[in-house]
Amino acid sequence: MKTPKAHSIVFIVAKYTFADEVRQKSMIVIFLISALSVFLLRECYKGDYMVNGQALSADAIAWTLSKVIFHIIAAGAMFISALLTMRVFKRDRDEGMLSCILAKPIGRWQYVTGKILGLWALSVLFMFILHSIVTFITSLSMKTFIPAYLVASLICSFNLLFVVLAVFLLSLMLPDIAAFLCAAAIGLISLAVNGIYSLSQSQMGQAMMQQSAGAIPSGVSWWKALYYCWPNLFGTQLSASSLIGTDGGMPVYPLINVLLYCLILGVVLLRRFRNEDIV
Amino acid sequence: MIELHEVTKQYGSLTAVDRISLSVGRGEYFALLGPNGAGKTTIVKMLLDFTRPTAGTMSVDGISSKEPASRTAVGYLAENPRIPPNLTGWQYLLRSAELLGMRRTEAIDQGEKIVELVGMKGREHTKVNTYSRGMIQRFGLGAALMGNPKLLILDEPTSGLDPIGIREIRLLLESLKQQGMTILLNSHFLSEVEKICDTAAIMNSGRLLLKDSISSIIKDGETLEDVFVRLVKG
Repeated sequence: MKTPKAHSIVFIVAKYTFADEVRQKSMIVIFLISALSVFLLRECYKGDYMVNGQALSADAIAWTLSKVIFHIIAAGAMFISALLTMRVFKRDRDEGMLSCILAKPIGRWQYVTGKILGLWALSVLFMFILHSIVTFITSLSMKTFIPAYLVASLICSFNLLFVVLAVFLLSLMLPDIAAFLCAAAIGLISLAVNGIYSLSQSQMGQAMMQQSAGAIPSGVSWWKALYYCWPNLFGTQLSASSLIGTDGGMPVYPLINVLLYCLILGVVLLRRFRNEDIV
Repeated sequence: MIELHEVTKQYGSLTAVDRISLSVGRGEYFALLGPNGAGKTTIVKMLLDFTRPTAGTMSVDGISSKEPASRTAVGYLAENPRIPPNLTGWQYLLRSAELLGMRRTEAIDQGEKIVELVGMKGREHTKVNTYSRGMIQRFGLGAALMGNPKLLILDEPTSGLDPIGIREIRLLLESLKQQGMTILLNSHFLSEVEKICDTAAIMNSGRLLLKDSISSIIKDGETLEDVFVRLVKG
């Protein structure tokens, strides 16, 4: 019997992780409900919308709606991804797969990397299918195909990698539900930080700051520091969505921020799991 | 095949294994005996690198147990083995084979033989959640045998089995021994150990009390159980 190559073991573990998750009834139900909900949204494209007494054009409606739905799906995928990841390690331990795998000539890094890849692939596929449905509906409505929508979806996949790594790491130290809640808190804080940062950069925000002179600036600088240091999940989403439509260039910083966090979390996770007792 | 040198494992202030040195030769059928909490399972876990020793070194087939390569030719059956309930026994065997790097055709050939060997022919394609504990035990043993390991580590392999099942597993292990496989057995079934093992080590509170051949341990009309009780209680 030949010893399998390191990368092939990683892919085998990833394949089984993917297959085990897909087999879960809850996963199938969540996916079907999500797909159906997105599909039903096509009715929104057919409505008449008035802004300041003027009727919006069908194209404007399609662009705006597709962007809003893009963000809902991307945020929802992070939520689902955290839900899937939080119980993976515990389930492997409870169902005996952890000891089955690690009793073989398989390194712990191979196991962890395989798990991450499997969960990430599943989460990305989940989000990509939902985004593809929206692309299809929008394309039908505008009678033109929007490849940028799918590219934006792929950029958001790095957010899912962050969530998988963060929840996996946290689930080694905390109860599963606490790991999930921590990841959700990271996402919510990112949303708040981005909102305040965007406001501070807007004309209205600038005017407000000038008016209240001394009081706000120190607070704003805190938010600015948080914007640059906190995992910028929502910023990445906004960057990706700037590809859809005519918003101009895509800000790269949030993506770099998330990728750096992924790298750090990956290293910490591997080191943490290397010293974990297998029971 | 197995070498332990001054191995110690501490969990905080508790010493689970206390400076144990022992070796198990190739082809030997070795029993690790001791009451609950003696440190037997901790030794097995350290051999598989599930947990690291606090001090000392251990190796399998000349390779440090810290290296995944030391488990290349090791089959392991856990105490109370578990199998994902959404799989069938057959899928579980094939998974074990694939994780060992076996080709699919090879895995299927060997899987069919093993299903017959562990007495589960006809039940291999039903879901694990319909299996009894004994049936899971048999598939767990089957998975440990995939890839023809040189060393088989069995933690209470007969727990959950009925007397006929215990006898069948004993006969199976005897035939594996005939084929030259090294077997490390953790067991409370002293009468079974007495019948089939070559060597035994008796542990208590993390310490090694005795290691010798079964024939040397049992003297003057005593049974293994008598010796065990005398050593552990004394």
